[in-house]
Amino acid sequence: MRLLRHLLSTLALGLALPAFAAASAVVTTEQVRAELVVHAPQGITPGSEVWVGLAIDHQPHWHTYWKNPGDSGLPTTLQWQLPAGVSAAEIDWPTPQRLPIGPLVNYGYEGKLLLPVRLAVPAGFAADSLPVKLHADWLVCKDVCIPESGEFALDIPARAASMGRGADFDAALAARPAPAAGARASASLADGALALRVDGLPAAWQGKPVAFFPETGGVIDNAAKASASWQGAQWNVRLPLSDQRSESPTIMPAVLTTPGEPRGLRVEVAISGIWPAPGAPAAAPAAAVAPVAPAAGASLSLAAAMLFALLGGVLLNLMPCVFPVLSLKVLGFASHAHDRRAVVASGLAYTAGVVLSFVGLAAALLLLRAGGEQLGWGFQLQSPAVIAVLAALFTLIGLNLAGVFEFGSVLPSELATLRAKHPLIDSLLTGVLAVAVASPCTAPFMGASLGLAATLPAAEALAIFATLGLGMALPYLAASLWPGLARALPRPGVWMARFKVLMAFPMFATVIWLVWVIGQQTGIDGAAALLATLLAIAFIAWALGTPGIGGIARAAFGAVGVLGLAAALAWMLPAFDAAAAPAPHAESGAAWQPWSEQRVAELRAAGKPVFVDFTAAWCVTCQVNKRTTLSKPEVMADFASRGVVLLRADWTRRDAAISAELARLGRNGVPVYVLYGTGSSAPQVLSEILSVSQVRDALARL
Amino acid sequence: MRSIVRLTAVAATLAVALPVFASVSVGQPAPAFSATDTAGKTVSLADFKGKTVVLEWINPGCPFVQKHYNSANMPATQKKALSEGVVWLAVNSTNTGASDYLAPTQLAGWMQSKGAATTATLMDADGRIGRAYGARTTPHMYVIDAQGKLVYAGAIDSKPSTNPADIKTATNYVNQALGETLAGKPVSVATTQSYGCSVKYSD
Repeated sequence: MRLLRHLLSTLALGLALPAFAAASAVVTTEQVRAELVVHAPQGITPGSEVWVGLAIDHQPHWHTYWKNPGDSGLPTTLQWQLPAGVSAAEIDWPTPQRLPIGPLVNYGYEGKLLLPVRLAVPAGFAADSLPVKLHADWLVCKDVCIPESGEFALDIPARAASMGRGADFDAALAARPAPAAGARASASLADGALALRVDGLPAAWQGKPVAFFPETGGVIDNAAKASASWQGAQWNVRLPLSDQRSESPTIMPAVLTTPGEPRGLRVEVAISGIWPAPGAPAAAPAAAVAPVAPAAGASLSLAAAMLFALLGGVLLNLMPCVFPVLSLKVLGFASHAHDRRAVVASGLAYTAGVVLSFVGLAAALLLLRAGGEQLGWGFQLQSPAVIAVLAALFTLIGLNLAGVFEFGSVLPSELATLRAKHPLIDSLLTGVLAVAVASPCTAPFMGASLGLAATLPAAEALAIFATLGLGMALPYLAASLWPGLARALPRPGVWMARFKVLMAFPMFATVIWLVWVIGQQTGIDGAAALLATLLAIAFIAWALGTPGIGGIARAAFGAVGVLGLAAALAWMLPAFDAAAAPAPHAESGAAWQPWSEQRVAELRAAGKPVFVDFTAAWCVTCQVNKRTTLSKPEVMADFASRGVVLLRADWTRRDAAISAELARLGRNGVPVYVLYGTGSSAPQVLSEILSVSQVRDALARL
Repeated sequence: MRSIVRLTAVAATLAVALPVFASVSVGQPAPAFSATDTAGKTVSLADFKGKTVVLEWINPGCPFVQKHYNSANMPATQKKALSEGVVWLAVNSTNTGASDYLAPTQLAGWMQSKGAATTATLMDADGRIGRAYGARTTPHMYVIDAQGKLVYAGAIDSKPSTNPADIKTATNYVNQALGETLAGKPVSVATTQSYGCSVKYSD
């Protein structure tokens, strides 16, 4: 009896002892058996590396997760306690499996898993053993999830080989994705998806299905069908973005696998293009992708953007860059006032011309955007050649209006009569011209609509641009449709000839503005060269177009004119080619420094507040603000007293860095004024019509 | 020929109308829905027109939901929201065949035992509401402003774990979003990656 009791108590002690023992290398739960393992075939030599790892054997149908767990779950985490000088690297994750669960997808592991970790041993290591302690947390799921953790401890002998798990380590290391080698991956953003292209994949992969595992979560829709294809040796896939995307990376590492190559390859995908603002703030309407579910029709935000676009278009008529062409149109009404149908048709044709031009511009912008080039809304006036052509055009129109030459003589008779016979086409072309010049005059509250339109899907961007055009043409359409308004116009008479000449002056004023812009872009030499070219063109137009000169004289003058033009062009074109940035225009002292992304980052890191003025020479609103608000002594004093560094980003000529920054701020044109405070608060973007009180209030809030 | 065109059009419409997992994004109007709550009443989103609404996807069997209820974090967030006039709807999209499915009375009982304070707890066993909102995890949180626009979608807070000790050092995104929306300001962090167990949709 006493012997039995002794036996029982010894047995009990024997069973109880392990519970009080130090943490061992193994933790077993109902779902997994986890073990801290080591692979050190040469023991521990100073300055060397040793592999350790967590081996997890899952019960059937249970799984743990990869570094990106997918739609749900948590990755396994390891926290090491190591002697001084010994450091552990990150987990060298083996390539995961895709684990679909209903309409969701996870990335993880089933069955036998080993998560290897490199340990770096310092040069001065001299102990007999290396004690390693590990606290590991893992989430193991089947249809339910159980968060588990374990404390592990192991002593790695220094002068004995630890290679009992050699085969498992070999398998784990071989299950890691291979480095990219020759493979290059890049992607661009297109219509709510990532358009990915991978070149340089191994030849054995061609034509086979490829699986994509993103290492960054919160970007793509893991469960969505991705349409993929091989184009020769290039693999292309369209990866739909998550509807509730929370990350906007520029580089996204990913693992690609193919049947027969389960370990796959690891590539770094370079992502170009502009990320639509994820969950944009209520102030500016967000990217609207109409959901498939209940709510049909255009979203509220699109309707609001279109309303703003309409108002913006109407306001465009008041901008100095549109007014000259406006005057041309009024002239047309004056001569047709009593032919109501013609007037209405003319108004409609003008509207069609304007709307089509805006839509055409939008289509071109979208095509170029698709082509990956970073462009802003005023891009036509960033090229000196385009400005020169516009200046020439306006000069010719001005001269024609002033009576220096008649179009009838310059153009072949068929074209001349064609113009008269088809006033509709004439109106259409007038509309197109008006748009060509209006583009950089982005009116204040259009700024947000345009920034939005550049990031919208194609159909909605086109809708907004079309509404912009409608707004611009609206006053004329109204005048053409309401007989009352048209009848209020004066009857044709001598005044028309005088009016015609009068209208030449706004044309020339526009030419002066364009010459000034060229001067900003290419310097005073380029401006003078342009003037010389315009003079030569004017002379040719006079020579060929003025009535009452004999044939020989006309030919002689024409020849002289052409020679003059050649000389002027020979002077002008090289001046335009000067790709070097124009000399900084006279600022108010050295107060303004040139902008660059690094400069902003440096200044913010140094804790200095920064004010950035995104401007361009051809932007009228910018110039007005520069000469009024930004020159006021009290504003400059406020800037100085708060130690604000003033940076100017000049977008007069095409600049990819500035275009990218504007897009990041949700804008597509200038002006844009940004105030960065100290600390990590979001930058304040001020309104386009900058008032003194607005700047001073914003500074006061710093 | 014409019949082929017609058939293609019909097929296309059907393909679009089927329960695809394409879901709403922040900034868009919140999809309308109607469901039965644990008390048997029919509750619709339209009933709360003009109010700020929070949607919370729950599943009592999930350790992440348990983390926030056992620590009283979720009930506290709910009570704070209700006191500010916000409507709080808890939604359970677990399908009836799942091992952790709870019948309405059981779910109501669990909610009461944890001190939860919701305007209603909705049964979405066929997963229609979950799919329309793109709910992937439990918990998954959504905030709808008084104009019916989705202004926040994502996690309850900033530390994805099952450890309740992480709650006090994490940012509660729902409190933050509600504070900003009720003050008429734009939500500063509008979309985050939600964390939790996967929603148990029917396949």
